[in-house]
Amino acid sequence: MKYLRLFLCLVALCLTACMSHVFVDTTTRLQIENRTEVAILGFDVISEDGSVLPWIRDTIQPGEKSRVVEEDWVGNFRVRVRFDKWNGVHSFNGTACATETRVVVALAKQSEADVKHEVDDGCKQEGRVEMTFAEVELDFEGGSQYLVVSEDEDGKAVFKFR
Amino acid sequence: MAAGIAFADPIPTEALTQGGLVMRDRQLRDIGLVMRGGRGGFVDIGYTYTPSSEQLELKSKYGFHDGYAFRHHYGIFGSWVLDSNSHFGFLTWFDRVGWDTQDFFFFPHYGEAAHISSAFTWGFSYTNTKYDVTAALGLQHQNLEIASRRYYPDEQDSLLFYWGHARYKNFSVQGSFYGNTFQTIRLSLDLESRALYGGVSSGFKTYLPNLAATVYRRKDGEDDANFVRLNWEQNLFDQVLYADVSYDFPKGGFHSATLKYYPDPSRLLGFEASCLRRNELGGSRELLWGGAIDFFVLRLAYNSAFDYDNMFRAKGTLIAEIHFNLGSIDGQFFGRGAPKPAPMETTKSQFDLKKFMKNRIEQNQGIIKTDSQGNKVIEAKGIRYEKSDAGSTSAEGGK
Repeated sequence: MKYLRLFLCLVALCLTACMSHVFVDTTTRLQIENRTEVAILGFDVISEDGSVLPWIRDTIQPGEKSRVVEEDWVGNFRVRVRFDKWNGVHSFNGTACATETRVVVALAKQSEADVKHEVDDGCKQEGRVEMTFAEVELDFEGGSQYLVVSEDEDGKAVFKFR
Repeated sequence: MAAGIAFADPIPTEALTQGGLVMRDRQLRDIGLVMRGGRGGFVDIGYTYTPSSEQLELKSKYGFHDGYAFRHHYGIFGSWVLDSNSHFGFLTWFDRVGWDTQDFFFFPHYGEAAHISSAFTWGFSYTNTKYDVTAALGLQHQNLEIASRRYYPDEQDSLLFYWGHARYKNFSVQGSFYGNTFQTIRLSLDLESRALYGGVSSGFKTYLPNLAATVYRRKDGEDDANFVRLNWEQNLFDQVLYADVSYDFPKGGFHSATLKYYPDPSRLLGFEASCLRRNELGGSRELLWGGAIDFFVLRLAYNSAFDYDNMFRAKGTLIAEIHFNLGSIDGQFFGRGAPKPAPMETTKSQFDLKKFMKNRIEQNQGIIKTDSQGNKVIEAKGIRYEKSDAGSTSAEGGK
């Protein structure tokens, strides 16, 4: 009888869907701290086909933290951090109907990313889109994660989980 | 931080959307094996187990998602004897496969990137042992339980696929249809003689090949891209060592080859080594070598051709399957696709009492010795109570 009760408990546990739920997180609760000197305009997950899924939509001023946003991203994903400007590059005058991307800083380590400045003069999208951003592949382990975005001496964007 | 530890190649989203076709075809192949006899019973139940969430990651356009690929299945066939020659059977096969962010038995988590689909095949069969014919027909339901449009392309599922199977001696035809178009048509020629179904248990007839050709209907954009898969199963030694080769026609060529060793022809235990040629979309082709060990209730496989085909091209990782399959005909038991029943002493004595008694008498004769004058001497072993008026077996044996 002692084991029957244990067995029934195990069966009940199995039926409640998730055996791994006890020790595996299926969502990531992300908070970003901005330690750069420019504002972060947003944090998105980007796909191979160019579509974008926003994760954190807050504008994070230098020295501030974002809200905690819970999403279903556990694994290894390519993300994009949009900056207000980088190294003083704020606006870019491109020729009409041309997409231009230029690297503001070169990539050094994996957790450090190129900061790119892209200008689209209405060819891809409606109107003029100008963007300064950094793309990096990050490994989200699930659960609460605290991402610190900073700038190193060479002027590269550095991403670190705390 | 940038890259996690990956044990294996991730599962592509396209492999999950093709899961329905794979399930339906494998169920019909299994039904074909059971319909070789078309009577008795068969049960098959299995549950794949991959303990780590990083073992079979999902590769979507966004990156690599941690989670679990799974395959749960059962197949049950039971038949009733109508008269001395006729058997009427009912069969159901069910598979639920996919990928989810958590593992489960019955109730999934339904994560954002989850893809879960199921296929249910059922039908009725009729077998006449006098003419050695079987006919079976039924329906197939393919159901897409969950798939986010953000990750997966549209796919066709339907509750109204139908199928039929007809066998005369060792030749069978099987087809599955949707509306007025066929999905698969399979012709099988099981030339191998199997003791289980009244054939010989040794000799050249057991070395005849089992051939099958399956025509698959596939859409390639607007055009039909039908192809034929040829299967050749060949007994190499004493119905314990088999080779199984599959070949795609007209394009594709060699698909896979499996060398299988069953310590007993009843196939309750098995070892296999396989080689599969991957046809990647990029045009690169490589050979995938793998193997599996099947311990009756536990199957451990690494890169095996069966898992690559049936578990979303899973590769580079150990896959455990807790399963059970057993068939029964005339009180004899066998594993899936076996040529001979399992050796069981109890069933022999139950069904051939005369032979059993004769054997026992012969065994007793061996004990009888002759002394120096040539007289028979019976040595009693142990104490036995015998009635004086009834002849005991040992006394009869002595005469």
